[in-house]
Amino acid sequence: MPDNFLKRRDIGKLIASVRDAGGRFVAPALAARQAVYKDISSAEELDDDYILPRNSYKELVFPQTEVIADFTIGKDGVGLKGRDVTGRDTVVFGARPCEAASLESLRSVFTWGFIDEFCTKREDRLVVITIACTKADGACFCTTVDLSPKSVTGSDVALSETDAGDYLVHSVSEKGKAFIAKHSDVFKAKPSADAVVKPIIMPERIKGVDLEKIKKFLSDTAHYENPVWPELTRKCIGCGACTYVCPTCHCFDITDEATAYGGKTPFEGERRKNWDACQFDNFTLHASGHNPRDTQFKRWRNRFMCKFNYYPKKFSSKGCVGCGRCIRVCPVRLDITEVMEAISKRP
Amino acid sequence: MENALRKKAKELLEKGEVKVVIGFGWNRDKTFTTPVFITKPEDAERLVWNPLCVNNLSVYLTRKFKDIQALGRPAIVAKGCDIRNILVLISEGQLKREDVFIIGVTCNGVVYRQELRKGELKPEIMPTKCHNCDVRNPHATDFVVGDKSDFKPPESPTGMVFNKIKEIDSKEATGRWDFWVNEFSRCIKCYACRQVCSLCYCERCITEKNMPQWIETSAHPRGNLSWNLTRAMHLVGRCTFCGECERACPVNIPLNVINQKMITVVKDAFDYKSGYDEKTHPPMIVFSPDDKDDFIK
Ligand code: SF4
Ligand code: SF4
Ligand code: SF4
Ligand code: SF4
Repeated sequence: MPDNFLKRRDIGKLIASVRDAGGRFVAPALAARQAVYKDISSAEELDDDYILPRNSYKELVFPQTEVIADFTIGKDGVGLKGRDVTGRDTVVFGARPCEAASLESLRSVFTWGFIDEFCTKREDRLVVITIACTKADGACFCTTVDLSPKSVTGSDVALSETDAGDYLVHSVSEKGKAFIAKHSDVFKAKPSADAVVKPIIMPERIKGVDLEKIKKFLSDTAHYENPVWPELTRKCIGCGACTYVCPTCHCFDITDEATAYGGKTPFEGERRKNWDACQFDNFTLHASGHNPRDTQFKRWRNRFMCKFNYYPKKFSSKGCVGCGRCIRVCPVRLDITEVMEAISKRP
Repeated sequence: MENALRKKAKELLEKGEVKVVIGFGWNRDKTFTTPVFITKPEDAERLVWNPLCVNNLSVYLTRKFKDIQALGRPAIVAKGCDIRNILVLISEGQLKREDVFIIGVTCNGVVYRQELRKGELKPEIMPTKCHNCDVRNPHATDFVVGDKSDFKPPESPTGMVFNKIKEIDSKEATGRWDFWVNEFSRCIKCYACRQVCSLCYCERCITEKNMPQWIETSAHPRGNLSWNLTRAMHLVGRCTFCGECERACPVNIPLNVINQKMITVVKDAFDYKSGYDEKTHPPMIVFSPDDKDDFIK
């Protein structure tokens, strides 16, 4: 049973009240002809026709680039002053259930041994509102990784769309309950009696994929040099597209930048935390010139290992939520599910 | 046509003339084409050719792919536009003509993006390059597959990219600047544009040189602008307008507009278009006493 009801025409009101309180309202909207998560200010900006935004909303907790410290270079050495992050009340509306499951995975990494407050403080103030999928495309494979358009893992408020375009509201977490209570004027207590829920789409499970078998194959270090890797992934061109759109990819690089502009001296600068990708050829390049992952298939193998071996083993969380983004953006159509299938078939 | 292609590939592998055939194959669901590397004669059956074969496979001939080079002499399935890139690679000393066996395919156009095709190939889903193509009958080949095309490109170039260039050129300098700053603001620095480009073959791209860091790696407006402009400048007189960078860009930055603009500038200044002849060098790397400009004399 749904807890509440949200009328489509009240979304504008919800946006306004979130923003009036100083928050951000992020939702799928069009940018350059495709749906992406955007900070929006009116309901008209919402894209009605999206399957899944091109980008992942991980950038709300793990921005593509951010300043973590400021430095000055003086006669007596370098002065480094860390920046604090407080986060900002943020609502992501219209996320998909697959992606919601990824936040847990990000959190596992960013709290593993060291609490990375740049991530956790933002996540604490993030409310995730998912909408169950009524459409999917050929790249969606949530069901193959044991998720589904109905899953609510990682979601704070889960919505299902009605024929009239309104939503049945299920509060999932305490955060979600508090959010609904705060905006009780738009979350009408009762659904109208004639509300019919749109049918939810269930992507077909890819036959022949066996996650346990994959994990076993990957755990055996003898398979590290298996010819299957170059065979399946030779075509990878080593861009960062798949990792940058992936909701669970989390690698970053720290870089120092001079900021000799805007009235600053050439001796001032910023320390930045930028996304990085294990697919880049210099990702593991050592200062000596040695590179343990010296060809592309080894880099691709790493990405696959990370998702289907390291994550599940180390954190018992999902390294891949089956959103299919990496498949959609790949310039050479390297389909991760084809690799999953091929590996499952190995003895 | 596919049969002729497979037959040739099989024969080349059987005779040992080549060790690998770089071509197109199907994905699992036969909904997308994807690059394949055929090393066994019996696998030549996997090769396909159709309007979804958009990739410019010449990127796999570059030194970025040491493991592919290690396989031995390649044959490559290439459209006329892809062959243009191969010829630039040869003219820049990246490859010798005899190092590669070029299986040219005659082409009636490809789709702009594979996901756009529903059924047949319609002009409105073809990229600008196809509407103006003068290499539908591939040049510089070792073998040609397909019937001769009698397509004649229009006198003056047409298509979305040219319209967009006109539109941008009609703006004031500030308008042009704002347009590009806005487009580049979406860049996520994934470098797919660079990786997919066969002419971006540097093993260490300038953006990876960090002592000093010439180009900021941060995806902020300044970093994005310096990346995109620098990359554009490094392709002047070389880029063939194959369109791979724009196709690969996950955030739809209209890179073809920059590329075509540069091509037009080079054409007007030097009467040069890249990729038609491997013996002529791109204008930016040669000195000619007959140069129209006299600043260097
Ligand atoms: S690996 Fe691909 S399908 Fe899996 S979560 Fe990442 S982007 Fe989605
Ligand atoms: S798998 Fe595709 S998107 Fe990912 S690095 Fe390789 S070529 Fe790029
Ligand atoms: S169009 Fe893009 S990918 Fe093709 S040669 Fe020019 S810069 Fe390279
Ligand atoms: S492909 Fe697009 S997003 Fe990626 S680096 Fe190039 S311009 Fe930027």
